[in-house]
Amino acid sequence: MADEETKKGEGGGLNRRNFLKSAGVVVTGSTLTAGITLAAEPAKAAAAAIPTTLTSFRCPICSMNFATFADLQGHFASTHPGAVVPVTTKLNVNGKDYEVLIEPHWTLQRMLQFRLGMTGAKQMCDRGVCGSCTVIIDGRAVLSCTTLAVECEGKAIQTVEGIAADFRWKPLIDSYCKWDAMQCGYCTPGFVVSAKSLLEKNPNPTEEDCKQALAGNICCCGTYPRHPTAIMEAAQKMKGGA
Amino acid sequence: MADLAGVNGQRKDFRVVGKPNLPGRLSHAIATGIAKYGIDYAVPAMLHAKFLKSPYANAKVVSVDTEKARKIPGVVDIVTWEDEDIKNLSAGGGFMGPAQPFLDNIADQEGAEVAVIVVAENEDICKEALRRLDVKWEVLPHVVDLLEGRKPDAPVIRPADPAAKAGSGGFGMGGGNNPPKQGNVSYSNVNDGDVEAGFREADHIIEFDVNTAAFSGHIPNPVGGVAWWFDSTYHGEGKNLRIEGTPWGHDQVVRMYRMPAEKVFQECMLVGGRYCDWGIRKSQLITPLLAQRTGRPVRCVNDRYGMYDFNLNQRYVHLKVGFKANGLITAIDDFSIADGGARGSTNFGNTMDQTFGPYFTTRCQNVKQNMEVVDSNRGKMWLSGQHNPMSWDSLTVAIHRIAEKLGKDPIDIATLNLHGPDSQTDPNPVPSYEACVAAAKKMMNWQWHKAGEKKLPDGRLHGASFRYNQCPRHSGTVFNPKLELRNGVVRLASRGPVIGIYIMEANAMVVAEELGLEYKDIHTELDHHEIYRPYGGGSDGTTASSWALKECANKLKKEILEAAIEEANNPPAARGFGPMAKQPTPSPLKGRKAEELDLQDGKVVVKADPSIGVPLAQAVRANLFATYSGKPPDALWTHRGKKLDTMNVAMCEVAVDTETGEVEILRFGVVADPGKILRRSSLESQIDQVMDFSAGCQLQEEFIYDQKTGVKLSTNMFEYKKVGMLDMPRVDLELLETRAGNAAYGSNGISHSLANTHLVICAIQNAIGKWVDSPATPDRILKALGKA
Repeated sequence: MADEETKKGEGGGLNRRNFLKSAGVVVTGSTLTAGITLAAEPAKAAAAAIPTTLTSFRCPICSMNFATFADLQGHFASTHPGAVVPVTTKLNVNGKDYEVLIEPHWTLQRMLQFRLGMTGAKQMCDRGVCGSCTVIIDGRAVLSCTTLAVECEGKAIQTVEGIAADFRWKPLIDSYCKWDAMQCGYCTPGFVVSAKSLLEKNPNPTEEDCKQALAGNICCCGTYPRHPTAIMEAAQKMKGGA
Repeated sequence: MADLAGVNGQRKDFRVVGKPNLPGRLSHAIATGIAKYGIDYAVPAMLHAKFLKSPYANAKVVSVDTEKARKIPGVVDIVTWEDEDIKNLSAGGGFMGPAQPFLDNIADQEGAEVAVIVVAENEDICKEALRRLDVKWEVLPHVVDLLEGRKPDAPVIRPADPAAKAGSGGFGMGGGNNPPKQGNVSYSNVNDGDVEAGFREADHIIEFDVNTAAFSGHIPNPVGGVAWWFDSTYHGEGKNLRIEGTPWGHDQVVRMYRMPAEKVFQECMLVGGRYCDWGIRKSQLITPLLAQRTGRPVRCVNDRYGMYDFNLNQRYVHLKVGFKANGLITAIDDFSIADGGARGSTNFGNTMDQTFGPYFTTRCQNVKQNMEVVDSNRGKMWLSGQHNPMSWDSLTVAIHRIAEKLGKDPIDIATLNLHGPDSQTDPNPVPSYEACVAAAKKMMNWQWHKAGEKKLPDGRLHGASFRYNQCPRHSGTVFNPKLELRNGVVRLASRGPVIGIYIMEANAMVVAEELGLEYKDIHTELDHHEIYRPYGGGSDGTTASSWALKECANKLKKEILEAAIEEANNPPAARGFGPMAKQPTPSPLKGRKAEELDLQDGKVVVKADPSIGVPLAQAVRANLFATYSGKPPDALWTHRGKKLDTMNVAMCEVAVDTETGEVEILRFGVVADPGKILRRSSLESQIDQVMDFSAGCQLQEEFIYDQKTGVKLSTNMFEYKKVGMLDMPRVDLELLETRAGNAAYGSNGISHSLANTHLVICAIQNAIGKWVDSPATPDRILKALGKA
């Protein structure tokens, strides 16, 4: 859980432990040993730290917290009449149901970042051009910046964090790292999701297949030639090849 | 081969350096989305902040009535430029010219952050509050067309702003006797030799225009972050500041908020894509103040629209070139009109070029460069060079123009004109250049043809182009690394940040090489409180800092070997008590001298017989550290191209459909000599990147302005089209290793040295026989062909 459903820190007195815990994120580790391969464990641990049910209901307008959703609705009726009332919805993300409180106009990308603390779906273009926010919904790669979160109820949403937590996809992550298919890295998770979506449909892609599948992902660093190499090698490894 | 001073000079055998496919430290975290950039940070109970953005290209906020906005439920704070808190902040200076107010009431480009900051419970409320502000604007005349803006009767957009003068940034400007600024125009003149004499000597004189269009830096991650203040028993009295999203500007935050550095904390190490744009945006700096005022964490992040600053600014060049019948250049007269941009723009993209340009790589010593830098309301250029605007494009076009005039291969023209390695009068060829050209010709099966003479089987016209480049790197940065042997593990600590060129990885490879360890054995720590920062400019910074690490590693090695002897001769006492006490095994290193030992394969070994050795962690139990402060030997940057060592060559082949005007880049070919490859894929990626940039700016990326309002019309990713996977041309590349660079093992890197804005344009000319300005969109091609 990220910002708005948690009680205010007293005097802004956040500490590192609470910050990390509340952000639902295992820190990247600013101390790492060269060459060590991070396995699926951090991603699993991060997912496990995210609360699945709502325990408080925070007013997005005045920041007051309420014990029940009904209380929040009552608050809106009395204090913010005419304002759009938040909704609760249950979203299945990476195989787990999460109850979240959101406003109806929130995009899926916004929900993932600000309610679940998942930072893999990145905001770059904010209008469905760049692919950095790509997630998989019911087996299809979609752009979470142009998908309303409330429309995703009952659907299976998979983010890059979910892919990372699934050991079967470790070869893909490893291959991306091995081949430096990233520079600044901001767009990389979106590419990984698109690549995973491709490999699910086509476990033996050609270079051209890779290019077509990633045509909707923009990399401002120009890492394009490295992605097909990484994906095709991952495909071989996942089939038990070299 | 350079004869380098320093430890190890020219090492011959490499176990680690140059090894491919070693993942970066944060690669897994990045690929899995766990790694966080400033925009990703969200903390409990945080507020959101947004700046008022100017809808006008040039305007002044006369007054703001915030009353209605303040009444909106959820608005927590509104700050204006007139608040004392804001006045006490400062920003700018250094590379970006004189310090300026952090926020004032002047907006000199559309979208400029101006006058007001709103803080609210969420971003939607911020936006609503900004809409409810009653802002009284004084709309001022604007300049978005440089050719109009330089006219004597053009409205003067910055009459009394000293920061607007060209050359006000930290890089200085050309000559010393420049005329005073007139209207919007500042002048920068650099003269070498006797240009008129050079023209008299010439057999041919040609004149032509080279227009370089601006293109966007387009930082992928909208910048910004979050900050809050906190008390901590463990950090002494007084508030501590936690700020995220300002990894490159950490020191600036410390200065701006007058905080002891040790009480400012930041976890975020990922800068994202910056492409030599190191400017710290307001959204990255304002959050501590707003957090202080509200007592809560505050997040402020730019939107995509606010991230369209220049990576290269507009420039119009008129070149007059004199040359002999054989193609030898005798005089160059370069008159250019460059965009001075909005307030605080760097001169890196204009006057800076004059002193580090390519003209001095030629044997021609008669070079005149007169530049007009025009104040404009087009946008801001923070600090760039990734695209190497340094007049290389003018020289590339000049070489092709001369070749066209004489009916010769441009490679022959370039080879004739390039001076030798030691000085501008050195007649000897540059070995690195010759090697690169030979390899590139082979790679591309280079067969020169005259313009319009080669048709492909599908009916399209074929064109090819070539350029050479030196590596305009610098070695002025002093690096201060520290290495520790702690509990048997070698640790390298740095303040980062991580910018995507894998610089710490290259450092670690060098340390591993020198200490007889593997890459994975070097434990790397990233902490903003550390001193060591490995950057000195792109991949040349990689090599320069790696020089320092090489020296530092050898200091640590000396300490390790001495400690190994000491501990071998004086082993620790028996472990355990009484009859259980275990006597240590006598070390095979006992009685030897340090100079008899070496570090190999993770062991301290006897040089004469490496089979005798002790694992490092057992041989040395002491904790040791070594520091180094210094820089590699002198680099070319300081010689204005009058000395040359490592070079590179790029080629391009295009196919032009004369019916549709469509251009296809068939392939780029690059042969680069980084001196010595430290980390191969870093170099390969940088080549991919600059070729991506080259394709984008020459074929499809374009800023379009509404001349009437000065508003930019192409500021989203639909209308400003970046290169995508299907647009990316094939890039063939080869890396040579002449070991002629100035840094570790004769390396020098290749950053800045390959990007160009006219390689594709020259190839198009070779195809169709017409010069087209970039971006060479189909309509421009057809127009050049007289078909539109």
